[in-house]
Amino acid sequence: MTEGNLVAALRAKDKEALSYLYDKYGAALYGAALRIIQDEEITQEVIQDVFLKIWDKIGLYNENKGRLFTWMLNLTRNAAIDKVRSKEIKRSAKTDRMESSVYTIDLQNSTEMSVDGIGLKALISELDPDQQFVLQKVYFEGFSHSELSEEYDIPLGTVKSRLRSALKHLRRKVRD
Amino acid sequence: MDIEKYIASGILEAYALDELPANEKVEVAAKLALYPELKAELDAIEEGLENLALESAVTPPDFLKDKILGSVEDEISGSVERESGDQEISKSESRASGGQAKVVAMRPNTGKVWRQLVAASIVITLVSTYLAVDYRTKWKDSQESYEQITQNLELQAENFNQVKQDLDKLEQDFNVLTNSDFGRFEMASVVDGQDQYSASVFWNQKTLEAYLSIGTLKTLAQEQQYQLWAIIDGKPVSMGVFDFDSEGLLKMENVSGVATFAVTIEPRGGSENPTLSAMQVAGNVG
Repeated sequence: MTEGNLVAALRAKDKEALSYLYDKYGAALYGAALRIIQDEEITQEVIQDVFLKIWDKIGLYNENKGRLFTWMLNLTRNAAIDKVRSKEIKRSAKTDRMESSVYTIDLQNSTEMSVDGIGLKALISELDPDQQFVLQKVYFEGFSHSELSEEYDIPLGTVKSRLRSALKHLRRKVRD
Repeated sequence: MDIEKYIASGILEAYALDELPANEKVEVAAKLALYPELKAELDAIEEGLENLALESAVTPPDFLKDKILGSVEDEISGSVERESGDQEISKSESRASGGQAKVVAMRPNTGKVWRQLVAASIVITLVSTYLAVDYRTKWKDSQESYEQITQNLELQAENFNQVKQDLDKLEQDFNVLTNSDFGRFEMASVVDGQDQYSASVFWNQKTLEAYLSIGTLKTLAQEQQYQLWAIIDGKPVSMGVFDFDSEGLLKMENVSGVATFAVTIEPRGGSENPTLSAMQVAGNVG
């Protein structure tokens, strides 16, 4: 099924399309949410909400602005971040993380749990520590760019460019 | 525009991850429409994000899919019920899963609730805007009233001080008038045909204090003043000047051994020697 067909089917409220969407992307979105939330049960709630939202709001998705997955990923990330904030789980978790001065150990721990692909873990370890750190915080933990910039005193522009370098490296390798 | 540099800044990644503030988002969207290279890069970034997510996927428990598809089913029936049903199948589904429908019954209402919230927030905005304007007006009004009251108070205080000074003066005058040590010495008119002119001196021969009280004296020009003289040992001694419209008792210079008091008209500020031709009133002591 092409992405265009999939979107059309979802708009037509075709449940088969939603089933297909879940099979294809459910685990990817679940992983993204779980890394931010760090709690299986809450993540299940969030993912359920996210799929209902996709079902309800597919009319709002604009294919000219980007890929369907990007839209779903951002829905998921935002929902996960909102959940974590509303439950104030984040606050203590963040503090814990800040206390561990060697964040690379922390990185290994959390990616251990969430990154199934051995290849990806190896790829991440190839990044320089600064890039690893930004990738970990923004992509895996759901820090906003500005939060990261403020809490760790890294200029906003640097956050952006480091994240780019990290994602670009992974992009190149993942494709191989 | 340096496209390489723009891409290297990481702004497209931030755009893809929905991290940009609204104004920057619009800017990037405009540039994407303008430069195909940017659009191509964004596509690659998004593909990379998708691959990364797929690569780092975590398999959720099996029941989650059923739960999601189940709740969507409920939702379909729920919304059909609301929209008075245009799909027969869904209607029967709705009946079949009636029990479950209860669990998510709130969901179709979220749109309604949301609308109500929007309506409520508009109302709140309007009301608070009105209140803000209203309060500002009231605040300005009370600011003005406050200033007016302050001004009034200042005026009252001035009046009070004036009254107090007047009262003090009267009290002083009263003390002089009731003090038996002060003798009252009348000065009568020495001007032909102007018998009404008069003034008096209250003189304490123990303390040598002297006060003048105007009875009737003519109005003087601005550059003129009256001057009180004491004739002591045949010589005139100035006891000070006063204006024609002075009220109450006027404190004059202390004097002793006075034979005669006299008042002349002199240039403002007084003279060394009295202008005898301008003498208005005079009176002998004893």
